[in-house]
Amino acid sequence: MALTDDVKTLIESALPGATVEVIDEGGGDHLRVEVSASQFEGLSLIDQHRLVKDAVRERSDTGELHSLTIKTSGPG
Amino acid sequence: MADPNLKDKIEELIRDNQILLFMKGTPDSPGCGNSMRAVNVLESYGVEYAALDVLPALQPLREVTGEIADWTTFPQLYVNGQLVGGADIVEELDESGELAGVLGTDRAESAPQSAKQEFKAENPQQSPPMQIENS
Repeated sequence: MALTDDVKTLIESALPGATVEVIDEGGGDHLRVEVSASQFEGLSLIDQHRLVKDAVRERSDTGELHSLTIKTSGPG
Repeated sequence: MADPNLKDKIEELIRDNQILLFMKGTPDSPGCGNSMRAVNVLESYGVEYAALDVLPALQPLREVTGEIADWTTFPQLYVNGQLVGGADIVEELDESGELAGVLGTDRAESAPQSAKQEFKAENPQQSPPMQIENS
């Protein structure tokens, strides 16, 4: 599975109902994700980013995912 | 588990520096695009900030910041002892206008140039874990 699909699946599993868009910014391991999720409501930006980073941590830790740019927003 | 001595030292740095940026490389010579993005935003405010190059002790510092702030990637911007975020959040807060408040930039207009302090992290296994140098 391409890393982009893998990352999308990981985030969607961690944040059920979320809308996730993953864009390859280069080389297949520099990704940008845009995540819209109801789980972000009431959370600070940093906690929203923590949720996304935690979801893909296993890929970051192995180095498969080298760089992840994150943009979060609430639902709607 | 993070090296307790290094963790103490980092907690002290975070406490003692109102605006502290953990980054790869130095403000004058960033070692990664994301660190450069954070530096560029900070520089645009003309605020005084301290910068710590994490490259000499990358993995130990990942462990330390993971324990302190549940954040293991760099750059990391701390203001008044709190983690504000990495490059994405810093840019987003800049664009939304919130970063000025976070940084307390009412002083910015009277500060024509940022005064930078650079620290060097050394391998924590060797003598003192961090050395502080004024650039």
